[in-house]
Amino acid sequence: MTRRRRRWSIGHLLDGFFFVFAGLAAIWLAYLSLTQAFQVGWAGVLLAIAFWGLLAYLVLPRLHRILTSIYVPDYFMGRTRTSDGLLGDPVNLAVLGEREQIERAMAAAGWIAADPVGWGSSWRIITSTLRRRSYPRAPVSPLFLFGRMQDLAYQQEVAGSPAQRHHVRFWQCPDGWLLPGGRRVDWLAAGTFDRAVGLSLFTLQVTHRIDADTDIERDHIVESLTGVSGVRVDVIRDFATGYHSRNGGGDSITTDGDLPILDVRGIRIPDAEEQTSPASPADAGVER
Amino acid sequence: MSVSRAPRKRAAFEPLAPPTERNPRMRRPAATVAGGVLVLLRALSGAVWGAAVLFGLPPWLRAIAGFANGDNTIPAEETLDDLGLPPEVFVGVLGVVFLVQVVFGILLLWGSNAARIIVMIVSTISIVTAFVSWWQVGAEITVATTLVTLALDILVLLALSSRDAAAFARRNEKRD
Repeated sequence: MTRRRRRWSIGHLLDGFFFVFAGLAAIWLAYLSLTQAFQVGWAGVLLAIAFWGLLAYLVLPRLHRILTSIYVPDYFMGRTRTSDGLLGDPVNLAVLGEREQIERAMAAAGWIAADPVGWGSSWRIITSTLRRRSYPRAPVSPLFLFGRMQDLAYQQEVAGSPAQRHHVRFWQCPDGWLLPGGRRVDWLAAGTFDRAVGLSLFTLQVTHRIDADTDIERDHIVESLTGVSGVRVDVIRDFATGYHSRNGGGDSITTDGDLPILDVRGIRIPDAEEQTSPASPADAGVER
Repeated sequence: MSVSRAPRKRAAFEPLAPPTERNPRMRRPAATVAGGVLVLLRALSGAVWGAAVLFGLPPWLRAIAGFANGDNTIPAEETLDDLGLPPEVFVGVLGVVFLVQVVFGILLLWGSNAARIIVMIVSTISIVTAFVSWWQVGAEITVATTLVTLALDILVLLALSSRDAAAFARRNEKRD
């Protein structure tokens, strides 16, 4: 019993060592390829591109991952986190209800579910952005909350190209989880408007730049959903006024800090008729 | 706040859980594919190097190598005489190394954790050796010498040490 536990921890120690060592080795490789780029003539252009690729997709993410695991605490602070551990888009919506009810409400409000990130969908979003073709189900990058990737992601394309779009990600809260302040919600969501394709400030990766005023997008999402029957809205004023800053790509974000709570429990699901009585908004803070 | 309600409540912070949960049915992540494919590429590059030493490079390939060096000089060829080995030993050693690398590449793609750890240890030793000879001895690491091999080693290590690859290789482990 003790032997098994010991081997388990040595394996994880080794993993940690290789994780950091690989990061250091990658810095050295980036340095070597940069110095080579000035010495080998025309092939240096290729090496310079290789240098950027190394830096943006391997070295900087690994460094951020190591550093953020040291200095970004892993509790809820109203912000999502990127796959590198950087603070991502702000959490600016909350939802009461079941997954099917959210799916129905979003579909009724004209939102389209995003494809999961994969080889095919990634290639397609690149080509359709470059050719300015429409890709209404374009994937959204993973953001993390409660240590998990988003459970649902929705978007609305603007001007027929994935370069600009409304998008929102949803995470189911752990059982019995309370918002700071004590309100109980079932889901949290982060909605931002992708305004252009650019380079991330922190990792130099190609990514979407978001509109700084995240309140416009939040209010757009809420407005689109209030048109759906069975959806009610309650607002926590000044929920996150302390969290103005930058998102994971280095874009500035500002917000008035209000957190709308969308109550979709009034939406009926045909095959689950038993949960028909929606609680009143006053019950939202009390245990159910 | 009454005491009777307290057990049903939870503190409003995230649990300090590992970011990736063990999931036996998780799909093979890109990092694992990259690691396995890079090890296979390394096997292939060794085989090509061996063939070049045995049979000599075709002239057009040497011309490209010279162009990549920027001075259009045709680099000198290595031959078996430079290594001072009988051909049987050379082919034998190279063949064994090639086979071992291919087996490990396939094991990595299957998601073997032992293969992952062993490949990471070997890459680490190889990188440390290269670094010491570069830092202490001043050995040049250029495209013409060992930069490509070193780059493959480092990329393999980066891919296999990533959280995704670790989670995939440990997907069947029981949680303690």
